[in-house]
Amino acid sequence: MEKEFQHHLSRMPENSAIKQQKLPAHRLHFSNQAIFTIFFATGAFCFCIGIILLLSAWKVQEIEINYTNICEDCAKMRENALNFDKQCTCSIPFNLQKTMKGDVYMYYKLYGFYQNLYRYVLSRSHNQLMGKDVRDVKDCAPFKVTSNKIPIAPCGAIANSMFNDTIILSYIRSTSEHIQVPMLKTGLTWWTDKYVKFQNPSFRNLSDHFVGTEKPPYWQEPIYELDTSDPGNNGFLNDDFIVWMRTAAFPTFKKLYRRLYRVKYFSDGLPAGNYTFDISYNFPVTKFQGEKAVILSTLTWNGGSSIFLGLAYTVTGVFLWMSSFALMAIQGKMRKKKLSHRR
Amino acid sequence: MSRSWLLCGMKPLQGSTHFSLGNQKVEKRMGCQQSLQSSEVLKVRTIYINDPLKNTFCTNSISTTKYSKWSFLPRYLYLQFSKAANAFFLFITILQQIPGVSPIGQYTTLLPLLVILAISGIKEVVEDYKRYMADKVVNSKTTSVFRQNSWHVIKWHEVNVGDIVKTLNEEFLPADMILISSSEPQSMCYVATANLDGETNLKIRQASLEVAGIIKEGQLVNLDGKIECEEPDRQFNNFVGTLYLRGKSPISVGPDQMLLRGTQLKNTQWIIGVVIYTGFETKLMQDEDMHYEQNDLYAMARTSNLNEELGQVKYLFSDKTGTLTCNTMAFKKCTIAGIIYGNHSDNTDDGNENLSRASFCEFNDPKLLENFEDGHPSSEYIKEFLTLLCVCHTVIPERCGNDILYQASSPDEAALVKGAKKLGFVFTTRTPYSVTIEVMTETHTFEILNILEFSSNRKRMSIIVRTPAGHLRLYCKGADTVIYERLSKDSLFVEDTLKHLEIFATEGLRTLCIAYTDLTETEYQDWLQEYKKASAVSQNRIQRLEECYEIIEKEFLLLGATAIEDRLQANVPETISTLLKANIKIWVLTGDKQETAVNIAFSCKLISSTTPRIYLNADSFEAAQQTINHNCGDLGNLLGKENDLALIIDGETLKYALRFEIQKKFLDLALSCRAVLCCRLSPLQKAEIVDLVKKHEEAITLAVGDGANDVGMIRMAHVGVGISGNEGMQATNNSDYSIAQFRYLEKLLLVHGTWNYFRVTKCILYSFYKNVVLYIIGLWFSFVNGFSGQIIFEHWCISLYNVIFTSLPPLTLGIFEKCCSQKSLLEYPQLYTVFQTGEMFNTKVFWIQCINALIHSFILFWFPTKMLEHDMILRHGYTTDYLFLGNFIYSYVVVTVCLKAGLETTSWNRFSHVAIWGSIISWILFFSVYSFFWPIFSVAPEMTGQINMVLSCPHFWMGFLLVPTTCLIQNFFWKLIKNTYKRGLLEEIQELESRKDSILEHSEIFEKRMTAASLAVSFSTQPCEIFFRDDSVDLSAPHGYAFSQTEGAVVTQEELVRAYDTAKMENSRISKRSSDFSEIF
Repeated sequence: MEKEFQHHLSRMPENSAIKQQKLPAHRLHFSNQAIFTIFFATGAFCFCIGIILLLSAWKVQEIEINYTNICEDCAKMRENALNFDKQCTCSIPFNLQKTMKGDVYMYYKLYGFYQNLYRYVLSRSHNQLMGKDVRDVKDCAPFKVTSNKIPIAPCGAIANSMFNDTIILSYIRSTSEHIQVPMLKTGLTWWTDKYVKFQNPSFRNLSDHFVGTEKPPYWQEPIYELDTSDPGNNGFLNDDFIVWMRTAAFPTFKKLYRRLYRVKYFSDGLPAGNYTFDISYNFPVTKFQGEKAVILSTLTWNGGSSIFLGLAYTVTGVFLWMSSFALMAIQGKMRKKKLSHRR
Repeated sequence: MSRSWLLCGMKPLQGSTHFSLGNQKVEKRMGCQQSLQSSEVLKVRTIYINDPLKNTFCTNSISTTKYSKWSFLPRYLYLQFSKAANAFFLFITILQQIPGVSPIGQYTTLLPLLVILAISGIKEVVEDYKRYMADKVVNSKTTSVFRQNSWHVIKWHEVNVGDIVKTLNEEFLPADMILISSSEPQSMCYVATANLDGETNLKIRQASLEVAGIIKEGQLVNLDGKIECEEPDRQFNNFVGTLYLRGKSPISVGPDQMLLRGTQLKNTQWIIGVVIYTGFETKLMQDEDMHYEQNDLYAMARTSNLNEELGQVKYLFSDKTGTLTCNTMAFKKCTIAGIIYGNHSDNTDDGNENLSRASFCEFNDPKLLENFEDGHPSSEYIKEFLTLLCVCHTVIPERCGNDILYQASSPDEAALVKGAKKLGFVFTTRTPYSVTIEVMTETHTFEILNILEFSSNRKRMSIIVRTPAGHLRLYCKGADTVIYERLSKDSLFVEDTLKHLEIFATEGLRTLCIAYTDLTETEYQDWLQEYKKASAVSQNRIQRLEECYEIIEKEFLLLGATAIEDRLQANVPETISTLLKANIKIWVLTGDKQETAVNIAFSCKLISSTTPRIYLNADSFEAAQQTINHNCGDLGNLLGKENDLALIIDGETLKYALRFEIQKKFLDLALSCRAVLCCRLSPLQKAEIVDLVKKHEEAITLAVGDGANDVGMIRMAHVGVGISGNEGMQATNNSDYSIAQFRYLEKLLLVHGTWNYFRVTKCILYSFYKNVVLYIIGLWFSFVNGFSGQIIFEHWCISLYNVIFTSLPPLTLGIFEKCCSQKSLLEYPQLYTVFQTGEMFNTKVFWIQCINALIHSFILFWFPTKMLEHDMILRHGYTTDYLFLGNFIYSYVVVTVCLKAGLETTSWNRFSHVAIWGSIISWILFFSVYSFFWPIFSVAPEMTGQINMVLSCPHFWMGFLLVPTTCLIQNFFWKLIKNTYKRGLLEEIQELESRKDSILEHSEIFEKRMTAASLAVSFSTQPCEIFFRDDSVDLSAPHGYAFSQTEGAVVTQEELVRAYDTAKMENSRISKRSSDFSEIF
């Protein structure tokens, strides 16, 4: 009712392209020709990449030996926890028909072990592993403290369940000459793990710093005795420990165990011939219907012998080609229809 | 329901049975809502005049704000959490606070929720502040009040009950008042009530004669007494009170003495009144009060889907006065002695010109004057015709310098008199018993003997005069039907005039037939005897008088007819035809008369002359039921389909038609008609109709109006549009959108509605899509983690997904996306139907999008999973962890989802590019930085080092190319197939736009467009071929008669005319006016 209400000027929206919705805009529009070309070219590209990937995957040499059943006796023995202090070794001979050229990596592989379980993943203390406070066991349930209320170091379910089989590879040059293949037990971890996420309280007198803590219940030695020979590989900085602590995405996973030390006979890789895995069998898997295996593999620029990516590219490429032909056919049909319609 | 105005009792009345019981019941029920009036005994309020201290009632300040300082927080929180979405997130937040329950941490929902609450809180505060400022403007308007023995100018909010207030011409009344005296004779005053009831004619109020003389300060000082009246209620036309003045007998006062807040003083120099109701207790504001209450609860929840609704409007309810019309009348054409005059060229003025020229008369045919002056055979008739226009009316002339202004309660008469003036027949002076006109510098005085008053029954008014030559003559103007009945056999030009009337009517002009008859002395004297007898009767006097008029109104000689244009707002017919093409049904709901509404329907091309018109005018429920049933029967199979029919119903009949028993039938009938005109509606009925359609039809309704009487329907409809026009701000204040003119609806609906609907649709679908894609991945991951609830992504990455990494694409889609250009949308209104029918967004579309998202999430999870399953993917044989996979997937998700937005975008601008590429880059940047947080900040230790390992992994880049391509190529493919095979109107036009050589293809589009058009509306070409048996259907050519005049007012037309003596008033008036001013200031 009131004239004063009509502040026309102040209400006038700003006359900018945005507010007036007049921003310069363009529409993506492709001709049929262009679409056909895009499909065809993308298809060709994918197909080529796919073939390259497949070829490189086929070049990889890989041996996997599942020793769950081979070491059945040990497996049985480990099902009973009371046998924890008994040693059980198992040796698995195998023959390498072709030389594994270049760097050779040894992995262990667990089947059916859910390292990605919600509560398992949480059960670790980052502060403790950084060496800041070895008694910090806040997030480590259900392995925070022992029955005597002593904090566990390293605490948590992940650490407690650490893989503790020892696998030794021997090269049998002749029936008499068994040579233990030289393997490196360091350099297995991400740089950030070794230098950021995992730190010992101190290098010297490591054991002193763990006074007042207890080893995890399933462990045989305390953390500061994981590798007494190499202080750089001991305590929280132990490579096997660090590798284990990086929780895998799938219930079946591999973890890097050793790298071939390329000296003497092995400077080119693993020569063809007979070998033996001597495994001291500590890690029980049959209890949870799991399995374990040891793997020797070379790597290419693109990793191991997985062919999935190559296949996926190839299939996508083929599909795109097919699509482009289908599109061409459809368009041809429509054009004919249109022409006949006009007549 | 949410926005019901006046309908405080609506909630319990939802069953609609109650509605049909009519206004009375509803109003009664409403009454009980008010605590003031809760007891059945009418409470009485006593007001001490001019003694504010004794009166303790509410102040005159109004506040329409939603919050106060203290109520803000609790109320705001309550409103926010009554929204389902917010309540849901609150619930999630609370759950997350329980340790161990949430896999994604305690704050990941809380923080975003707080941000959202803060932003909408700021918005609320700003909006409320605007309301506060608007109230402040109203509250600080000034008026004059008589206090301490002199006039003071005070602000509106300082006005108290009992104050004596003086209001000047054209001012709005600050509060509800009792009229004490005015500048006009017999203490009359005119008020424009358009604001309250939408009626075009001015209302006359008259003070009780006992107090009418109280004008001077001295008298006001001595004005001592009290008013007893009812407690405030919200019925505009009800008021009972008694004025007790010391030393005088009690004077009863009623609605005729009542001046309401929100009305405007017109044609009256000033009035003096005593304030009786103030602030929220005024009749106007009491309603308003409830509006805001209702608004509080519902407006918030509605706003989110409002823009989208603009694109789907199916029913448009429009007010007439001020919305379709300018509410100005112009004498446009006439036919005299069988010759048609008037300008034939089309007037397509734009709005501004319209306004400035509104007061001018449009008649500009020089031929008329030529014929008159050059002694054309018809020149005598022309003279008689124009003389009649000058003499036969109730207009009061007012000299203003050299110019003469005309005061009239009837806008038609004002237009005619002005028209005559322009043609040289100037009406100059009115005395109680004569009228003086000036023709070519000659002065003629007509003695007015009798005035045979206008009533809507009679549809005519006559005046018996003694001409300057001494003859007795009866001049009459009225509806063609009544005049033609009374024509003498000797009357000429009957056929020609009838033809011309038809032409006028088809153009939507308001026509009046002009006729006269000469009386003999004896004839007149005989009649006068009868007339005196009839005037003396106390019972049924009006009826007796009308019978008496009949006796003398006969043997008319036809002179011709006038055609008055009820000016339409600019481009109304064009807009209406465009909206009709867009398949929007237009209903005109007006408080004005039936004839007027029909006229306007013609003039704005809502109906054509061949459209059969169904008139529903019944005076009882049975009659209404019968008519409706008959018509439904006649329609037969066509019932429920759209026919080229017009339905015209009045408020009285609507009351019956809305009764539960026949409501559905009535609606069926109404929906079968292309145009529906509802006349003489109360504001409540307007809202009821909208409610009826809203309830029974699953369609979006839009109401547009400009007056307070439209507020009801504006709030009731899904979308309320207020025209910020002459009738005030109530409509605008209560609307969702306010526009300046009706014609902007076209752009609002067709362009902004369509764009918004398109945008909202895309935005919603896309938001669903991107969230489904991300969160379903969690489901896939459960299959490999033993359903333990482990999340594959880092907590904050998930939380920031909707806040940063994919926040911009839906925004650009929602803000800048355009389906096609404004030009195309206006050029092809049929495009609107694509959106109206919900093809763009329905359950099917929704599920298709969800399934698409499911497929994408499947690919996005399982491809990387299969890639990484082998574990030996990094140089140096390093193995990875679950988060490594998570980061692969997350990166691919962001890329895919952003590119999907690109695929959805039809209109690319720089913001689209920023949104799409920027989002992808933002994730990579965040990922890089975030990987170095630990241990500097104690978050995300798992992320440490991820960036190096992920980016240095060849698999990542291989997947980066492959995975999004695989996801999107299928969308692209299907889109191509759809574009080739099943192309709609929208796609055609889109292609047309993107092509340069558009001329070639234009004809093709046009074909398509025509088929779409035939789908939507096909009226004008085919006439209706239904055989109607019911006599309520009018198949004849339209009659253009319409005339608005105050009826049944305190002051009869005769009294009004007899009251003025402008010859005497001239001098005294000017001096009086100047003294008034000196009194005030």
